[in-house]
Amino acid sequence: MKLITRTQAILARRSVLWTLVIRDLRVRYSRSVLGYLWTILDPLLMSSVYFVVFVFILKRNNLGHEPYFMFLVIGLLSWQWFSGCLTDTSRALIQESKLVRSTNLPREMWVLRVVLSKGIEYLLSLPVLVFFSIVYLVKGQLHVNWWVLLFPLAIVLQAVALTGIGLILAPVTALVTDTQRVVRIATRVMFYATPVVYAGHLVPAPYDKVTWLNPLAGILEIMRAGLFRHDRFPILWGAIGTSVVVSFALLVAGFAVFSRLERAVLKEI
Amino acid sequence: MAAHDAQPLSSGSAGSEPVISVRDLGIEFYRSRRRRMQLREMLFHGRSGATKQTFWALRNISFDIHAGDAVGLVGGNGGGKSTLLKMIAGVLLPDEGSVEVRGGVAPLIELTGGFLGELSARDNIHLTAGLHGLGKAEIEERFDDIVDFAGPEVRAGLDTPYRHFSSGMKVRLGFAVVTTLDEPIILVDEVLAVGDRAFREKCYQRMESLLGDGKTLFLVSHSERDLRRFSTRGIYLKRGQLAMDGPMEDVLDRYNHDLDAGA
Repeated sequence: MKLITRTQAILARRSVLWTLVIRDLRVRYSRSVLGYLWTILDPLLMSSVYFVVFVFILKRNNLGHEPYFMFLVIGLLSWQWFSGCLTDTSRALIQESKLVRSTNLPREMWVLRVVLSKGIEYLLSLPVLVFFSIVYLVKGQLHVNWWVLLFPLAIVLQAVALTGIGLILAPVTALVTDTQRVVRIATRVMFYATPVVYAGHLVPAPYDKVTWLNPLAGILEIMRAGLFRHDRFPILWGAIGTSVVVSFALLVAGFAVFSRLERAVLKEI
Repeated sequence: MAAHDAQPLSSGSAGSEPVISVRDLGIEFYRSRRRRMQLREMLFHGRSGATKQTFWALRNISFDIHAGDAVGLVGGNGGGKSTLLKMIAGVLLPDEGSVEVRGGVAPLIELTGGFLGELSARDNIHLTAGLHGLGKAEIEERFDDIVDFAGPEVRAGLDTPYRHFSSGMKVRLGFAVVTTLDEPIILVDEVLAVGDRAFREKCYQRMESLLGDGKTLFLVSHSERDLRRFSTRGIYLKRGQLAMDGPMEDVLDRYNHDLDAGA
């Protein structure tokens, strides 16, 4: 099967993949002193904004698990990885066209490299989550349970889904130039169509299944399962199951689309 | 070493197996230089807005190259020379036929492609060499060779950002990195014409020593002198077809004859 042979080819060159990932991180953090601060500033700031808007101004205190700020931070950190990855993977082949044209690497690596370097940025931002967990634990508002062990699995699942989506977006963007705009708009719409700032339970009956289609819905559900009390909002296993299926379906579809378009892309870039 | 009686799969050394074998190769391009489509046009006009006309940049190309061969590609602009080189390098995929390459390839194509302006030359050497498959220890080992070859200006600027380099220094660094890769097959696309005369002479010497080491060389050039100097076998591409494959002298004679005849 295509997926297996390509994976083998990529694994054979994994040292190059790390070289690329390290290059990304080095460029990102050598450019500004605030490098690391930027990765955590954005989700923290947005979490504060949503907290102020929903809780202080609109006086809603039933949008998600309590403490709601913690609920927001988990969602927005993950969302930052998700949306950043969508934008960057759609550019993955055009932006590095010179390198793609001059090195004979498995070309899926140009996408994987973005997913991984964005993923490492996400991992580096997790101390923020740990910090707030400790704060809320001390205040006695957080209810850590055994499901927290699934958290790393959710990270892996998100990487799988993002690889799949990226493998579709990268070659399509190289062939159809205005895909990048579409991706930008679609990402903004998707933010509100995914339970990031609200709990999935709040979506009325038939439409909640629509939000499940974005694997991030289930992924966030897993991440949040281990940290909150579930008396008001029980864990949505349906969303979690769907996200596992959709993520792996995206991965298979991604490899298929990529290998189908690779030939044409190489001629165009 | 001469090719003796065919001993299939003898102990993994090259033997009589060709290192590059090209079979019925063909690649088709769209006539408009860019097929670039736009969703907007596809939605509102129901078509992609680009012409559907295609042409074969290369077709029905077959040849074998054995270890240690020095091959020069001859032909006019648009003959398909660079396209063929890119397919051997594996950065273009054929629409018809196959290219089989046994062994690693050091592509002297788009030399400065892997470098990043933001990073220092030192970091760039590590990254680019890594990208071409060298391990950390190997890079350390060859680092001084690379910098020596690139010249004293490069050594002096080793820790300044790469974007401050002059274009000549950039190319020299690229050439130095790729030629230290130690791959058995070397592809050269018109890069010998870069740099000042002193550096060009250094490039020539490096190429000759590589050839002396028994590397396989595949050269694209418009310079008859370079072709004669580095290659013994010539492949003449004419409008995407293989017009002639033979000793370099004969191929160049035929090419010049064609040019004079205005064909």
